[in-house]
Amino acid sequence: MGFQSVFTPLERSAVHEDAASRQAQGWRYVQMLAVNNEDDVDVVYSYMKYGALDNVVISALPKDAHLPSITDLYLEAFVCENEIHDLFGITFDGLAIDFLGNFYRVSTEFPMTITSPEKLAMMEKQRKLEEKKAQAEAAKAQKAKEAAKGKAAESPADISGATADGQLIDAEMEAKLAAMPPEKAAKVRAAMEAKARAAKKAAEGEDA
Amino acid sequence: MGSFHLGAMTLGSLFKKPETLRYPAETKPPYAGQKGHVVNRVEDCILCSKCQKVCPCHCITVDKAARTWTIDPYLCIQCSSCIDACPKDCLSMDPAATPIASSKHDITLSIPETEKS
Amino acid sequence: MGKATVIPFGPQHPVLPEPLHLDLVVQDETVIDCLPQIGFVHRGLEKLVETRDYDQFIYVAERICGICAMGHSLGYAETVEDLMGVEVPKRGEYLRVIWHELSRIHSHLLWLGLAADAFGFESLFMHCWRLRERILDIFEKTTGGRVILSVVCVGGVRRDIEDTELAAICQTLEGIKAEYQQIMDTLLTDISVKDRTVGVGVLTHDQAVALSMVGPFARASNVPYDVRTFGRGAYGDLTDFAPITSDEGDCYARVKVRCQEVLQSIGIIEELAAKIPAGDISVKVKGNPEPGARAANVLEQPRGECYYYAQGNGTKFLERMRMRTPTSQNLAGMVEALKGCDLADVNMIILTIDPCISCTER
Repeated sequence: MGFQSVFTPLERSAVHEDAASRQAQGWRYVQMLAVNNEDDVDVVYSYMKYGALDNVVISALPKDAHLPSITDLYLEAFVCENEIHDLFGITFDGLAIDFLGNFYRVSTEFPMTITSPEKLAMMEKQRKLEEKKAQAEAAKAQKAKEAAKGKAAESPADISGATADGQLIDAEMEAKLAAMPPEKAAKVRAAMEAKARAAKKAAEGEDA
Repeated sequence: MGSFHLGAMTLGSLFKKPETLRYPAETKPPYAGQKGHVVNRVEDCILCSKCQKVCPCHCITVDKAARTWTIDPYLCIQCSSCIDACPKDCLSMDPAATPIASSKHDITLSIPETEKS
Repeated sequence: MGKATVIPFGPQHPVLPEPLHLDLVVQDETVIDCLPQIGFVHRGLEKLVETRDYDQFIYVAERICGICAMGHSLGYAETVEDLMGVEVPKRGEYLRVIWHELSRIHSHLLWLGLAADAFGFESLFMHCWRLRERILDIFEKTTGGRVILSVVCVGGVRRDIEDTELAAICQTLEGIKAEYQQIMDTLLTDISVKDRTVGVGVLTHDQAVALSMVGPFARASNVPYDVRTFGRGAYGDLTDFAPITSDEGDCYARVKVRCQEVLQSIGIIEELAAKIPAGDISVKVKGNPEPGARAANVLEQPRGECYYYAQGNGTKFLERMRMRTPTSQNLAGMVEALKGCDLADVNMIILTIDPCISCTER
């Protein structure tokens, strides 16, 4: 008996029907969870039959959405439904054992919907890195095009590749600099410029 | 008859060596690989601050300007990720646990200047 | 018939190892209904995934619960490996399972001791915990930690066990087995144990299936469900593995199932120690989980099936980490088992589901 886990999307309106048909077919309720996105919430229901774990994903629910409770079919879901209500703010209608938001003692309302500053900083860093990468790639494509057009350079592919790589490194460096304190960033920038100048000089020297 | 099931075992333990230690008087010697506390061999440390980056509880601070390496032993969870990350193998785990102190404090080690070759 | 009264039970109660509150509706001396409540130890550990790298979070996952520490780190690591498509070397998988089964023995011995204490058999409790100490000694020797092992990492394990050390472990286990047989004999045949457990808190097979129960609680009601039969990792290499079940469905059956599972775990460790392959124990994991990638996984913990979910977002932090613990699944079954029992048996029934509230709330 092997184990297999799959994710299947489902319409929001079909939650209860799906649970009812699964119960009739002998699926076992496993769990429910919610995922907080930037401006909506995904809810995942998991059922299992023999070794097949089926995760039913209801995506992009508004933050104050109402869902029908499945506790009339699977009583044991009351723990997860109360938890999702307290931590994410999704309301389940017809909960068999409803704690009305007093299941967990939390100091902030819906704590899981707040994004921590560390994560925001990380996402920002990632976004910058990706932007730079995309720019570098665009530049690379441009260069390659020009090189193909010109056909004058001795080894166009090599040169374009090298510069694009350099730009990629620059992009990563920029992202790192953005995360550093300003004085330190300035220092590193100066060092990089000096290095670039030295490299240029060396290259010129070689040419001469 | 029921209560005599455990009789032999209980009776036997009257004559066996005790399972417990008389704690403050005798202590259990730690095993060789036991995780006690992190020690830094300062001569080899190059202040690369890799340990600071991998530490999940942010208990290590490396100050390159002042040439110091600081650890908060009461924040450390002895996960030994810093030891795995150390490029110079100057960090190691001592089997003895951090000694008891009356107040929490950091341990700061100053790293000697190395001659550049 | 007397008037129905509500008796609050817990979160502070001599028999409860964990903060669980029950409102027992009692008529005369019989419990007719019950309302469980948790929420006293919610620490928001799932939220911490946003501020810790995916490989650092393993230390947080371990600290969700002391007794399931090994299970949580293993389940988390397996899920992240699924997410990133990492293949763990065979020796690493074997070592993981050996440690996991050792932690099952330690958890079950702890539970048997607590159960003995709950029905007032103090010396049995001490003998159980004395044996458990030997297992903790093995952990200390091989991983460096007593309860929090920090030995699993994403991509494998961090310490190897030498073959001589493995042989020594098997020898220790053989020693434990001889003494454990006597304890098991007491637990299963002693009249004072039977008086407190036989016929108490019966949950039938149909009820257990309808309430999606997991772990030894379900297996005691003859539901042959055990995640280990799916054969993930080194479990797939066992020559024969069949879940231990019992069909009485009462507290005695739950004690019996757990008792026999200890022997089964010793068997698994001995078999794996005999055929452990040589080779690497871990692989280096590079890169970050893909944005939007999801992985779900189940693991058989000492208390039953535990569900893990991980979702990546392209950074070194995970977007979401979630674990659904066996206790959360078994709470509804416990309520069902409590209905109609004697007030004096309530503590016994609560204990036999082996509740772990810290895990459930995280």
